Amino acid sequence: MTAVAPMLEITDAILEIGGETIQICMQCGTCSGVCPWNLVRKFSPRLLIRQASLGIEGYESEALWNCVTCRTCVEHCPRGVDIIDVIRSARSLMQESGTVPPPFRAPLGSLKSDGNPWQTPREERSAWNQDVGVPELGPDTEHLFYACCTHCYDGRNKKVLRTMARLLLKGEVDMGIIGNEESCCADQAHKCGAYSLHLELSGANDQLFADKGVKKIIATSPHCMNMFNQEYEGNYESVHYTQVFDRLIADGKLKPKKEVALKVAYHDPCYLGRHSGIYEEPRRVLWSIPGLEYIELPRSRENSLCCGGGGGGIWSEVPVAERFGALRVQEALEAGAGVIATACPFCTIMIEDSLKALGKEEEIRVLDVAELLFQSVE
Amino acid sequence: MAALPETSQERIGFYICHCGINIAYKVRCPELAEYIKTLPNVVVSRDYLFMCSDPGQELIEKDVKEYGLNRVVVASCSPRMHEHTFRAACARAGLNPFRAFHHVCVREHVSWVTLDEDQATEKAKDLCRAGVLRVQHQDDLFPKTFPVNTNTLVVGGGIAGMQASLDIASAGYQVYLVERQPTIGGHMLQYDKTFPTLDCAACIGTPKMVSVGQHKKIEILSYCEVESVDGFVGNFQVKVRKRARYVNPAKCTGCGECTQNCPVELPNEWDVGTKKRKAVYQSFPQAVPITFVIDKRDRAPCVQTCPAGTAAQGYVTLIREGKYEEAVRLILEKLPLPGVLGRVCPAPCETRCRRAEIDSPVSIRDLKRFAADQIDLGTFALPPVAKQPPEERVAVVGSGPAGISCAYFLVRQGYPVTVFEALPVIGGLLRTGIPEFRLPRDVLDREIEFLRRTGIEFKTGSPIGKDRTVDHLLSDGYRAVFLATGAWESMQLGVDGEDLDGVLPGLDLLRKKALGEEVSVGDRVVVIGGGNAAMDACRTALRMGASVVTVLYRRTRAEMPASEEEIEAALAEGVKIEYLAAPVRILGNGGRVTGMECIRMELGEPDESGRRRPVPQPGSEYTIEVDTVIPAIGQRPDLSRRDCTPGVGFDRRGRVEVDPVSMQTSRPEIFAGGDLYTGPATVVEAVAAGHEAAISIERFLKGEELQANRGEKPAGEDWAPVPAGEQPRERAQMPEMEPKERAKTFAEGQQGLSEEQARAEAARCIACGVCCECKLCVSACEAKAIEHDQQDEIVDLNVGSIVIATGFDAMDPTPLDHYGYGRLPNVVTNLEFERLSNSTGPTSGKILMRDPQDHFKYTRPPASVAILHCIGSRDKNYHEYCSRTCCMYALKFAHLIKDKCGHDTQIYNFYIDMRCFGKGYEEFYQRVQSEGVRMIRGKAVGVTDRAESPDEEGYLVVQAEDSLTGQLLRVPVEMAILCTAMEPRPDAVEVARTFGISTGREGFFTEEHPKLEPVSTPTAGVFLAGACQGPKDIPDAVAQAKAASSEAQSLSTLGQVVVAPMISGIDPDVCVGCQVCIDLCPYSAIEIDDFRGISVVNEALCKGCGSCAGYCPSGAAKIRHFTDKQIFAEIDGIMASG
Repeated sequence: MTAVAPMLEITDAILEIGGETIQICMQCGTCSGVCPWNLVRKFSPRLLIRQASLGIEGYESEALWNCVTCRTCVEHCPRGVDIIDVIRSARSLMQESGTVPPPFRAPLGSLKSDGNPWQTPREERSAWNQDVGVPELGPDTEHLFYACCTHCYDGRNKKVLRTMARLLLKGEVDMGIIGNEESCCADQAHKCGAYSLHLELSGANDQLFADKGVKKIIATSPHCMNMFNQEYEGNYESVHYTQVFDRLIADGKLKPKKEVALKVAYHDPCYLGRHSGIYEEPRRVLWSIPGLEYIELPRSRENSLCCGGGGGGIWSEVPVAERFGALRVQEALEAGAGVIATACPFCTIMIEDSLKALGKEEEIRVLDVAELLFQSVE
Repeated sequence: MAALPETSQERIGFYICHCGINIAYKVRCPELAEYIKTLPNVVVSRDYLFMCSDPGQELIEKDVKEYGLNRVVVASCSPRMHEHTFRAACARAGLNPFRAFHHVCVREHVSWVTLDEDQATEKAKDLCRAGVLRVQHQDDLFPKTFPVNTNTLVVGGGIAGMQASLDIASAGYQVYLVERQPTIGGHMLQYDKTFPTLDCAACIGTPKMVSVGQHKKIEILSYCEVESVDGFVGNFQVKVRKRARYVNPAKCTGCGECTQNCPVELPNEWDVGTKKRKAVYQSFPQAVPITFVIDKRDRAPCVQTCPAGTAAQGYVTLIREGKYEEAVRLILEKLPLPGVLGRVCPAPCETRCRRAEIDSPVSIRDLKRFAADQIDLGTFALPPVAKQPPEERVAVVGSGPAGISCAYFLVRQGYPVTVFEALPVIGGLLRTGIPEFRLPRDVLDREIEFLRRTGIEFKTGSPIGKDRTVDHLLSDGYRAVFLATGAWESMQLGVDGEDLDGVLPGLDLLRKKALGEEVSVGDRVVVIGGGNAAMDACRTALRMGASVVTVLYRRTRAEMPASEEEIEAALAEGVKIEYLAAPVRILGNGGRVTGMECIRMELGEPDESGRRRPVPQPGSEYTIEVDTVIPAIGQRPDLSRRDCTPGVGFDRRGRVEVDPVSMQTSRPEIFAGGDLYTGPATVVEAVAAGHEAAISIERFLKGEELQANRGEKPAGEDWAPVPAGEQPRERAQMPEMEPKERAKTFAEGQQGLSEEQARAEAARCIACGVCCECKLCVSACEAKAIEHDQQDEIVDLNVGSIVIATGFDAMDPTPLDHYGYGRLPNVVTNLEFERLSNSTGPTSGKILMRDPQDHFKYTRPPASVAILHCIGSRDKNYHEYCSRTCCMYALKFAHLIKDKCGHDTQIYNFYIDMRCFGKGYEEFYQRVQSEGVRMIRGKAVGVTDRAESPDEEGYLVVQAEDSLTGQLLRVPVEMAILCTAMEPRPDAVEVARTFGISTGREGFFTEEHPKLEPVSTPTAGVFLAGACQGPKDIPDAVAQAKAASSEAQSLSTLGQVVVAPMISGIDPDVCVGCQVCIDLCPYSAIEIDDFRGISVVNEALCKGCGSCAGYCPSGAAKIRHFTDKQIFAEIDGIMASG
């Protein structure tokens, strides 16, 4: 093999678009050691960082698209390298050179044309609300109820969304929706390094929210919540619906009364847990349900195992044996659970898909925290 | 600009230094010099390449002479660098340097921090103009000198502290070496070998210890802490707390007999918990000083709770050891009746037993009974008795527990004592108030017989009353009297029919039964009351043949004062308890009881006892058919008592009035206690009262102060922690007769614990006080060195300099839970490994694996070991810094394992970077590699015992990425060593405050300058050595110690210190004596002159902080060199900027 010179302009480009912590990496390999991919296939974030920091061939490979932005490595990194930002920045170079792997192209295209990644018309965004009746956001409405694209368009998640909205209305939460004008929060575009698309979508929402006077947002996905709190221009107070449930139960506005005799294991979504530090509220909601037998999974809270859906992972083609969702189903079955409860639309899809692929539908189900609460309240 | 008089005599020279290019690359120096020249009174203004050079300084001196300058301003680097250089130049030129010189900083404050050249030049102009204006207001100042005390205090006896002490002492100066541990030596002496030369740490460390111990100029203050430091450089006053060691160093020979006999074991700090030590211990065999130490915390809660102060932890521990005779002897120190109390004591000790935090309290009372039951008191050796003059006789009235115990303790002190008892039998209520089935007569008889053998004279049938009064006793030659006649008169119900035949007060029943008098009960018995006396009465009635026994109690079970145990026993035996009911009248026919009318009660508001008051429910009356009514609603002292003790006060309930501490009555020679004073109370309280009275009587006879050192016991809670991981175990239960069986007999219902049960039960004790005060060490020590009553002392030291060498701690890796420390038995820390490898450690130097079943047991050498670098170091989440020593000791570990466990042992080092920077270090790295140690470049991310393949079964699996191949590794090993970070001592901040120094971001002490003043601190006279300043290895710590000792010696050799004159001065003509400054001064440097009524500054103590000057309402307090005029002139100069 012939010697090469470092391509430092590549490195500089990565530094410029948010990967500056790449410089303090000491190549200890902690990230690779804790990365969940290595449970199923070889993947070294350390190597990507090394290649990127010298502009050496390899950083722009398909491996770069493995990362599901679960944040385990960031939590453990002894030097404080923001590895997700580095990945995102490196991906953005591939966006510019048009070398994005095929599975990601269609959703990104749909985001551009329809404002959602599901290749579904913008006009159908608020169809879910027809018989639910969340009012339109008025000038004095306290909260914007912002439904994630995946909740709005994915059949399974649409059900979750309606249940969730009904519960919030029952708890007399003052909230409204904007509807079809809303665009995707841009989490996927952001994590896939689609820099201008991300700015386009978040800019449109920022403008829309400003026009409508939005201050507080109830987000239905932890990914959206995280975007509003971390990446938006506007200064919003964005909360997750499980936090609202928790408060409503504490205030006595939602009263879980009916027994729900299920063995439930809670799966911490990465963007709710590691990214946002919310571990207790969804648990407290589950604990408040009479008859529910709560099971703590071995990998929980800060050590939760990702579903594999973040950072664009939901679009990747992964063989069943290599899916985190499949590992999670196994883990829950071993723990004796009959239900995996979660609070993120990606987790619901990813784990449910694995469960079906494993043929375990008879043994275990995936339910959103909202669906479990609904059984007890109604 | 501040105006100056036109006739000003000021002649100013100004110099701007280029500092090579450091200043000149941003500040246009010639332009600046030109500008300053235009200011009033400036005579010369120059720019020069290096003002600090000799020619630069000579320039100033020459100009002073040529131009007649009286003021000099230099603009250059920070005053910290060269202020003293230029002051010296001015002094050489014949000027008072404090008046003449002012330094302006244009490097750190301007050129280094300003990007733009124009801005830099302008800012420099502003600052220099300010300096020129200021200098004209400066006055003559003269620094003071003070003598230096040539003693040095060295804090910390590790390798750095020992080395510093030796060097200073070898120069002929006195050293006080204060060490917190019982021995000097520090971390180095815990290690096995030292890198890279592999010298044995003990071989090179113990000679240092011995030299320190034997040096005439070094006084070791071990097991001591510095409490406070006052004064200033050359003149520090230090207070050192000498913690009680409980062993006299002048007598202790270090033979270790005490340790052999000590029954208390706990993990040894010196061995970082890898093995156990005793409560009396030596850290390791080569300890210096050799003196043992007793680890004594606050007394255990059981001991604190016992009214008599019985050494409960002590006798429980002795029982565990099978030393029953010693246990009884220990009990007898505080209680004359072990078998009695082992049966009838309500055991307040068990209420606060901390074993309950794990499962349930230790069965202390049953253990006491067990010990007492093992001993034949008939042949038991009598306790030692002191000698007193034979005429100092004492009379005790009443042979109940209070009287007996007073007599016992006085006899032990050597006083002849006679106990006068009205009844024909000894024991008071123990005999007449407690039924036989709870306290068998032979137990009581044996103990009374034993007391008689100790020398107490008992006179039965000898009432002291109207006919023979206390005064008769005194005139018979008794020098003091203790009254303990008890409270045995039954209270009356106060209802109609109480005089009927068949009404029999509870105590009368018990007394008659005990004295063998004729007494019987009918078939249907009702007992009224809810106390222990009621329970005794109902159970006695049952045994006397009554077929229906009912207890009537006016409140509910929750309020019942009888002990839970007694209530349960009565119920089990068939007694019925009717709650919320009270008698209205007793019905009779022909003078005999036939029934009783009762009324239902309900609970109302709480009364003064805090219990809810029972309120009769009108109309709820009902009648029951009974033939015997036994009231047991309370008892009180015999009221006729008042008549036979003239001059002694009693209250209206018949209770004697005494001083609560000394038990002395209003007549000095008469003391009283027990139930006569308290009203009905427990046996153990009566014993305690008797003991207190005995102490008072002895003091009274000797003419000593009665109250001194008595009263409330300090109840500290500095106890040993409840051991983690202790498994719950069931509390021992004594075998018991079936309730139905025992209700038929007066034989004792409960059999004692078996020996096996008792020893297992005693082993449940968690040794709260650590030392249990069993005093076995006292008997074992031939040198009589053990002194259990030692107290902490404060030692005052005067020293001129202080060397701080307090060292570091190894980080506890428990929070890094992915490494499994504390959960996986063979994940050990570096320090634990050092002890394993050390010949004085738990395995005598063999590297062995820990038995998973037993933390303190080691099995066989490991066949594979992983050494994990950077645990808590180089990690933002813990310590960002590199601990500097780990790479090297990790290599040393690898070598030692190869050496001791065999060369086929597989060793893996998981490292990030190898840092082998010292002399011979890199060579050592290569040597260890050549021995076949595997080096894996990648930080280990975790250790797990979850096997993912059959090959991993039973192993610890270390996970890491080998960053050189990019391969994820799972390495199965048998042992994993965590190389943990070196971190500051947890109390570094408080220590820093004590010595007036500071800690840096990571918590280590801060040196004055990281390169040029590595051992000095900003506080003059206080120096640093070793790892308290930052992680370092032994060679560096020793080098630094030598540097610190040289600093201390310089001070001592010079013999005097010059103190800067920039301190506070209070103008006596302006001061109004308000004294606000005195409270504000953080250095206590201001005092009031009472004669003149003004505040005065002590120049030796003032540090010139300015607190007084800032607040002084009259403007009298001023900081010299920082006067208002000077500061305002400087501000004017800056504000004058265009």
